[in-house]
Amino acid sequence: MVDPGRITMLWVIATLALAMSPQLVRMPLAVTVMALLPLLWRVGAELRGWKSLPALVRHVMTALALVVLFYSYGDLAGRRSAVSLLALMLALKLIEGYRIRDARLVVSFSLFLCATQFLFGQGVLMPAYGAATIIVALVALTRLQRNEAWSHAAGNAPAVQASLFSELGFGFKLLVVAVPVGLAFFLLFPRLSSPLWGIPDSTLDSKSGLSDSMSPGSIQQLFMDDSPAFRATFEEAVPPAGELYWRGPVFWRFDGKTWKGSFYGSNVPASGQPSLQGSPWSYTVQMEPNERKWLFALDYPVTTPPDARLSLDFQLIRREPVIQLLQYSVVSNPDFVDSPELPATLRAQALEIPESSNPRTRRLVEEWRRETGDDEAFVRRVLNHFNQQPFHYSLDSPLLGRDAVDEFLFETRTGFCEHYASAFAVMMRMAGIPARIVTGYMGGWYNEMGDYYLVRQSDAHAWAEVWLPGQGWTRVDPTAAVSPLRIRQGSLGALSAPRHLIDYPWLRQARNSVDIVQQRWNDWVIEYGARQQARLFAPLGLDQATPAMLVSVLFLAIAAFGAILFPIVLRIRGPSRLDPVQKAWRRFLRRLERAGFASLPSSGAIELAGAAAAVLPGSAPAIHRIAGLYTRCRYAPGPAPLPELQEAISAFHPPRKSS
Amino acid sequence: MNSTVISTKNSTGDRHTRLLEAQQAVNQILLGKDLQVRLAFCCLLARGHLLIEDVPGVGKTTLAHAVARVIGSDYQRIQFTSDLLPADILGVSIYKREKDAFEFHPGPIFSRVILVDEVNRATPKTQSALLEGMAEGQVTIENQTHILPSPFFVMATQNPLDLVGTFPLPDSQLDRFLLSFSLGYPGPAAERELLTTEDRSHMLSRTTTLLSPEDVEALQKDCESIHVSDNLLDYIQALLLETRDERWFETGLSPRAGLALLRASRAHAFLEERDFVTPEDVKTIFPGLARHRLNPSSGFSHSPEEQIRELLDQVPIP
Repeated sequence: MVDPGRITMLWVIATLALAMSPQLVRMPLAVTVMALLPLLWRVGAELRGWKSLPALVRHVMTALALVVLFYSYGDLAGRRSAVSLLALMLALKLIEGYRIRDARLVVSFSLFLCATQFLFGQGVLMPAYGAATIIVALVALTRLQRNEAWSHAAGNAPAVQASLFSELGFGFKLLVVAVPVGLAFFLLFPRLSSPLWGIPDSTLDSKSGLSDSMSPGSIQQLFMDDSPAFRATFEEAVPPAGELYWRGPVFWRFDGKTWKGSFYGSNVPASGQPSLQGSPWSYTVQMEPNERKWLFALDYPVTTPPDARLSLDFQLIRREPVIQLLQYSVVSNPDFVDSPELPATLRAQALEIPESSNPRTRRLVEEWRRETGDDEAFVRRVLNHFNQQPFHYSLDSPLLGRDAVDEFLFETRTGFCEHYASAFAVMMRMAGIPARIVTGYMGGWYNEMGDYYLVRQSDAHAWAEVWLPGQGWTRVDPTAAVSPLRIRQGSLGALSAPRHLIDYPWLRQARNSVDIVQQRWNDWVIEYGARQQARLFAPLGLDQATPAMLVSVLFLAIAAFGAILFPIVLRIRGPSRLDPVQKAWRRFLRRLERAGFASLPSSGAIELAGAAAAVLPGSAPAIHRIAGLYTRCRYAPGPAPLPELQEAISAFHPPRKSS
Repeated sequence: MNSTVISTKNSTGDRHTRLLEAQQAVNQILLGKDLQVRLAFCCLLARGHLLIEDVPGVGKTTLAHAVARVIGSDYQRIQFTSDLLPADILGVSIYKREKDAFEFHPGPIFSRVILVDEVNRATPKTQSALLEGMAEGQVTIENQTHILPSPFFVMATQNPLDLVGTFPLPDSQLDRFLLSFSLGYPGPAAERELLTTEDRSHMLSRTTTLLSPEDVEALQKDCESIHVSDNLLDYIQALLLETRDERWFETGLSPRAGLALLRASRAHAFLEERDFVTPEDVKTIFPGLARHRLNPSSGFSHSPEEQIRELLDQVPIP
């Protein structure tokens, strides 16, 4: 029944707070408040000496917390709600626990809580945060242990004299000692090619990235999002950013405002390979989870990643949504002809537009259609129009009403890529040219150090494809006609004003450069699985490492680490940091030993010299001289004759023991 | 022995030389007992008192007498018996009619060097009268405090075998003695010399005084300036700590014993003509310091001496 002590209790609370914070941010507000209340109360109780709450209040609070939790999540079975439940209960433990074992329980479960954050994300900074939490937890545990040890002996422990810094330093040391074991577990714990338990679909808190429909403003929203969408590493030639149209969802159906995919387009498999020329690009994409099924690739993907299929309109669609970091390799050939023949059903779909909408546009199209000859000329005419008339590529585009294309073309003339793509496709369809919208990402930031393209959500783009006789589906990017900068310098380079308060080119540049850390982290740590493990063991001749073998190697490795580490740790703790005098003396003793004289640690230098001189009469003067010098160094006042001692010992070569 | 270690302190110069001569002179009388003589001088220089435990006839008295002679002081020998009273040691006040006052007649304790024979034969009351004087350097008789002369050096003997009718000194009073040792029988060569050369008492009477009491006091002061390094203090502390381990002794050495160890080690270094203390000094002193203060834990068949030697072998020198 020992009180853990105020400062120690604050350490315990700090541990819980640190472990809880990443979760708190994601929790509903009511749950966050319920979790913080007991925590803050305990801090107040420790600092101000408040009395403990009556049992009734505690029970009511617990019941209330459960109700709030259930109300916020609807059920208690999900991962998110389970973690919230753990956090809530730990916080509530603080209002009733006053013993050392209660405090220890809170710290131990906080460590578990800290580990749960990896269920929700695996960024490169999270292990660092986790390590910080663990260090604080170790300090708290150490203090608890110490107080408990004292409680058996003599009541309350004396106050810790160590500074905050040295306490944290001690925690850090403990953590560092554990690192080799952690590494061994990471590298050697048997990795399974399929997970042991099913990971629920909803990993992220909200789906991100391109969606299955496009309406004005939907890509603009993504434009504000700087998080990486994927990274692509090219094997040989690296194409310029302006040629990188990463194809994503393709839309056929238009209701006057929103573009949607077509059942045919996305469900009918691609019919055979198109005719290919030119040299292909092969590259590997490392895709951030976005909970959607589209994989992004350049046109035309010659190979299809496993678990994915290529649809009729060349979308790469995966069987399962991407819920964790996914790496896939694709070979793309940019030189191809897509569908030289267009079946009637598809043609009808690619020409469909709502009747009697956008009358002004319709009139304009009809006029141009009469002026121009073939489809190609018409396309050029429209692009010229975008290019020469005062159209603007801008973020602040006004909201559009019912006849969106009319308003856009004749009045606002300001918009983002989706406005241009949409207007262009509508005009094409009005002119009888089959057209569809493709969304995806455009370009990317080439990281020279890591030799890869970083594509962010803000690189999201929409363009159009028209079907021309003989050429098949042809990509037309109306945005390029309005703002060639968008294509050349990427989405952000085309804007004159910053997007938000802390949006500077140099900052973006710095962030892009730093991304290499995340890329490497993904590559080496997150992606480390059964395959990489097998590759690690291949040089050792263990291509078929069974889990049992891996576990044996794991324990061997840990035992080896232990064998190396233990003496070091003991040495750190012991006072035997040798000074130069002692070091020289040890050398002398080793030489004596080789000459056949073993010394006792309890014999003094002069005593030892007498005994050694008796064994080695030939070296007696040298032995006496060294012992005398050593004694002077160790025990006499004034400057130590260290150089003489070292010199004498260096010159001391007793005859080796003849065996 | 080893010339590089030796560094004579010039300031002590002359009297230090005479101290060594005095030691030499005692050695000539008491043959083959270099260590014991050195320890006796250590005891004198460290302002301590000496307890000699041995059977009769091995030279306890001779040693005491010789030491007293060379330091040129008055010397008293008190034979303790069971009927000895405190006043027999301390002295008495006798009424003088012509002065109409009591006059104090100092007892034998008012000598600089005292040999107490068979200290465990007297009653505790008498023992404590002596031991109080040893500890305080003064005696109080009838509310009159009398300062004892300085230097004041008590050598007490006791017979460890003949315990019938004795009053063994309690631990607390044994602590008053800085060092204790037994003389033991002389070696064959020493014994031969003893048998063939002149009678010891004649030699004693011819022994000249080499040091004055003032010299002894000055030498005692000199000892205090002997350097003690941190490494050596580490060793002393390690030794003290080890004695407090229950597996060796019933009770460990007290801090007072630790101070005594340091003092005596300084004196030993001084006698060895060094201006700093080495672990060897401590190791030489330690058995004499510890054997009358420590009782081996029960369950050991070892004698205290063996136990102490083993302990010394266990403690590494830092």
